Amino acid sequence: METKTSQKTLIDGSKLMIEALVQAGADTFVAYPITPSNWMYKYGKERFPQFYAAPDEITTFQWMAGMSAAGRMPATSSAFPGIALMVESINMAYAMELPLVIIITQRLGPSTGSATTGAQGDLAILKGIISGGYPVPVFSPSNFEDAWELSAKAVETAVKFRTPVFLLTSKEMVMYQKSFDLSKLKPIGKVERPEPEIEGEYLPYKADQSLVPPFLPLGNDEHLVRITASTHDEGANIRKNDPEALANSRRLHDKFINRIDEFTFFDLDEQPDAKKLIVTWGITADAARDALQSLRQQGEKVDLLVVKSLLPVAPVIYDIIDRYDKVVMAEENLTGQYKEILFGNRPVKQIKQVNKMGNMIHPQEIIDAVL
Amino acid sequence: MTKNPKNTYLTDKKFPFCPGCGHGISINALNKALQELNYGPNDVIVVSDIGCSGLIDPLFATHTIHGLHGRSPALGLGVAMAVAQKQNKKVIAFIGDGGATIGLQHILEAARRNVDMTLIVLNNLLYGMTGGQISGLSTQKFKEIIDFEKDIPPFDLIQLTHASGARFAIRVNAPNKIKDTLKKAIETEGFSIVEAASLCPSYGMKKMNELIEVVADEEIFEHQRPATKIKDKETTSLIAQTATIPHKYKADLKERKGILIAGSAGGGAQSVARFLAMAGMYAGLDTTMKGEYPITVGTGFSVAEVIFDHQPINYTGLEKPDYFIIVTEDGLNKVKNKLHKDAKIYIDDKLVTDELKAKFPGLIAVPFSKMANRKSTALAATTYVLNKEQILPIEALKEAVSTHRLKDIFIDVIEKVVDLSQVSS
Repeated sequence: METKTSQKTLIDGSKLMIEALVQAGADTFVAYPITPSNWMYKYGKERFPQFYAAPDEITTFQWMAGMSAAGRMPATSSAFPGIALMVESINMAYAMELPLVIIITQRLGPSTGSATTGAQGDLAILKGIISGGYPVPVFSPSNFEDAWELSAKAVETAVKFRTPVFLLTSKEMVMYQKSFDLSKLKPIGKVERPEPEIEGEYLPYKADQSLVPPFLPLGNDEHLVRITASTHDEGANIRKNDPEALANSRRLHDKFINRIDEFTFFDLDEQPDAKKLIVTWGITADAARDALQSLRQQGEKVDLLVVKSLLPVAPVIYDIIDRYDKVVMAEENLTGQYKEILFGNRPVKQIKQVNKMGNMIHPQEIIDAVL
Repeated sequence: MTKNPKNTYLTDKKFPFCPGCGHGISINALNKALQELNYGPNDVIVVSDIGCSGLIDPLFATHTIHGLHGRSPALGLGVAMAVAQKQNKKVIAFIGDGGATIGLQHILEAARRNVDMTLIVLNNLLYGMTGGQISGLSTQKFKEIIDFEKDIPPFDLIQLTHASGARFAIRVNAPNKIKDTLKKAIETEGFSIVEAASLCPSYGMKKMNELIEVVADEEIFEHQRPATKIKDKETTSLIAQTATIPHKYKADLKERKGILIAGSAGGGAQSVARFLAMAGMYAGLDTTMKGEYPITVGTGFSVAEVIFDHQPINYTGLEKPDYFIIVTEDGLNKVKNKLHKDAKIYIDDKLVTDELKAKFPGLIAVPFSKMANRKSTALAATTYVLNKEQILPIEALKEAVSTHRLKDIFIDVIEKVVDLSQVSS
């Protein structure tokens, strides 16, 4: 009965994400234990060439930043309470332009909340996590294939843009097991980091039209490397608000916004003449897929947009949403955080929200909203 | 080692400190110490953070990294761990007494780990950048002068780092000893810390001899402990280690079914659910398995859900299980609000009350706890239900348990339950 190509197994999202990070070139995992990142920690310890058990989340992130500045490619996994402690250090790594990956396993808040209950409640904090309102890439896997591919994309994006990248997942994605065909996993190539050729003095924050400065690690034998988190010019000289320094800060924004197409990922399941659209992300996408199938079986013309690059918001997301008469936005949080990021708090006539906390959104709830 | 033709580790930038500030003494001392040790500028990485001590960043013509208040020991340890596999790289981190207060955990952690790096604490007894407030390293003698918190002692960083395992920990007050002290610290392989008394003429003392009167006594401690080595380990793919589960048996499943197993910690509910999910896969089904148990994993309920379907499963929630397998009171208490009349409720006969029977007349009471010992009751009960309901072939369950090191015990439990069922039917 077995087909030769099938490689089915029982697996979890944590294992797929850790393996994908390593295959893409992440080499150091630093973590402090927290539910529901427990399996990430276990697999990270087993798989990464270097693993460190940090005494708290601030230390976690500082070690990661130091390692990244010296040429390694670190990753961590935490949940909101740990992320909250990391925020100042995340800003530091962002300003220093250090590549690293942060997995957030969302759980029910506020505060300690309920550690073993899933949620999609931490997107809003990522929207404003960088002081000054600068964008930072946030990817959110919607199934196991995404868990694999987006983890590799996170490493690639972190290196390409010299930046921290977030992978926003949920307890329901990383702490349950599901039958899965391993042959669906696309091969992942290691992200190469060739040392750039620098002529003359190395100015660590001088970028060409790519807006991303070439990276040399601390300890480089040819060029002295200066790295700083304070407002600085191209040469990492600390300046207050002089035009050169402000231009450098503006570049931190522009490098993402001007090149947003390079890291915009989504799935749009379309059929001709559909005037209704379901928009969702993360763990709710599974319910939305079931809802879509059921609605189409009932003869409804409806499309599904699963957004995987949540932040910064790509203009194409608005382009897609604007094509429909009715849009249902489903996400497992109190007020619809992605909806609020796209459209603010004001109700939008053609948008119907499906929001819930403490339990996953059921496909029927999405169906009811569409009909 | 790279060349240093100018034989200086300092840029030509003017020191930014207030007139009389002690920080410049330590910086010049470090420059001299590095000259005498003959490091190349590309071999030295100076780590700094926020506060007056952080102003050193532009002064060094070495690699530099300038981070957050109180975090230079952690940021520096990250750099040190990353460069540990390279030859002759030296990480030197600076911190003030205010930074050492907020970042104390990082300092103790670096001491404990004993990776090769040097931390220089410029202790001027106060926060010089924000108005001269006291720090955790402000001494009682100093606080007597300003008449604030004078009964509260300072942290003794040198004793604390020594107790935490630092290879070399020293407090030095005399300016003329700083260079040689730094030389010894830098030459030490492992974590070294040098706390140097530093004058703050703006908020503290005006003269060095006044400062010397109020600082903590000099101390020196050493451990004969080799520096911690850092090495990348070889690992193998987690996917390659994951066994595939081939479709070998036939399942007579008409539509999606959800099974909920409710037991107690240590009763094997989680393992059995995993076996059950694997058995479904051996029978060609798609499956999901979720566990739920208290944070204190060794006590209380242990509940697990398994869903089977011929179709791919997207949504993984299970609001209305089709089958309940309830083996303990903890399990019953956890799931009783989920029980519904459309479900087949299999329950240990000892747990059945008149009230429960009245509410769910169709429940099926089975003496599960007599079929196997406590650790195997969930397996026995699950076998019983599979056999009765013909959801999956028992052979698939046997194949699933045969992946476990206790497979002989488990197969024995399964076979006994099947035999028993045949006798009773």
